[in-house]
Amino acid sequence: MGKVKIKKKETRIDMTAMSDVTVLLLTFFMITPPSVAEEKVPDANLLSVLVSPQGKVFLEVLGSKDSTMKSETVRADLLKNMVAEYKKTHPSANLAFTNKEIETFSKLNAFGVPITKMKEWLNLEPDQRDKFLESEQNPGVPINMNEDPNNPNEFQMWIRAAYNSVNPELQEAMVKGRGIAIKADQTTPYSVVNVVMDNLQTMKMNKFSLMTALKTSEE
Amino acid sequence: MIKSQTLQIALPTNEKVEKEQQNKVKQSEAVTIIIDGKLDDKGLSDPNSGMLYYYDGMPETDKLATTGESNMKQVEFGNNTGGAYPAIREILQERNKEVCLKIADLKKEWKEMKFSKNEELNDSIYNEKAKAIRNDSTLKRPVVIIKATPNASYAHVVSVLDEMQINNISRYQIDRINEVDSAMMILLQGKNLNK
Repeated sequence: MGKVKIKKKETRIDMTAMSDVTVLLLTFFMITPPSVAEEKVPDANLLSVLVSPQGKVFLEVLGSKDSTMKSETVRADLLKNMVAEYKKTHPSANLAFTNKEIETFSKLNAFGVPITKMKEWLNLEPDQRDKFLESEQNPGVPINMNEDPNNPNEFQMWIRAAYNSVNPELQEAMVKGRGIAIKADQTTPYSVVNVVMDNLQTMKMNKFSLMTALKTSEE
Repeated sequence: MIKSQTLQIALPTNEKVEKEQQNKVKQSEAVTIIIDGKLDDKGLSDPNSGMLYYYDGMPETDKLATTGESNMKQVEFGNNTGGAYPAIREILQERNKEVCLKIADLKKEWKEMKFSKNEELNDSIYNEKAKAIRNDSTLKRPVVIIKATPNASYAHVVSVLDEMQINNISRYQIDRINEVDSAMMILLQGKNLNK
């Protein structure tokens, strides 16, 4: 009788993937509003805007489904673009990331710290990184009511950085309204969601999607 | 993990010029819906309670200034699983009657598979015809302007957007609440309290 060969399994746990757990926790407790909309959330070429009921904003970026534009590639490019965007209005800012920091960033599904804190955050141990992301002291991606696209806030800079990323499919999706999805709990006051929507409008991203939970129509 | 769905929305841009054009909605066709809610001590808005205010056409500012009366009406939102939806639905269906009736007829034909015996083809022909009816400018169709107060719950905003789809309303927009809206709401709330 032939022996059944058991493949050796990798026992090492990739800690970079673990650091996504925090934001999953944040979204796990989120109940998106019920809706009759049936369209599925795209699983590629997507910029998700997670909004906490207190108005803190976190971002998630996904690349293409196949390997042509991996999420890692898009994210690395996103961070470089963001630095360039930030320097447009803060020319004297001392903002630069090492290749290692960019690599760390590219492996993170979600992020949400002020850009001036980013370097420090990326150099934290994964579990500390998680803690900081959810801590009271972290304001998330800085955002305010701002209708001047020439003087964008950091959220608007990220939007522009994503729009101009190396991934043309993401840009196309953003134009069509499938590339940006807002995710917020159903109890979130409109004043909070409105800030994000208004920011997108200012960036001329007036088509976007809202993440919802399927509700069967009472017809 | 359960995959969630998305609801596509399009808002006007924040540019001033386009906004003025956007506001040129025919008075007779406009219906303004204002969503209101209450915040709890945690700053969350309960999706199971809320109020809807609505008025047809333009706000009657003259009447408002002289008599304190307005053309605004109020309905309770009820809970998310049903509640007062029939109330808003009636209001919208009444204003979009011509489209809704035609769609209902079309739906009958679709159910009987009159367009094609092939299910997929039957669906796609139905969808195309339904779209044409929704966008038929010869029919009397409302333009719904959706507004929300800062305390309105996100769930209610989404459910009002849902009503657009359910009631075949092709023309709607999300707009900002203004002083006249707030004034009318306060007056109406005061009047109802005195009752």
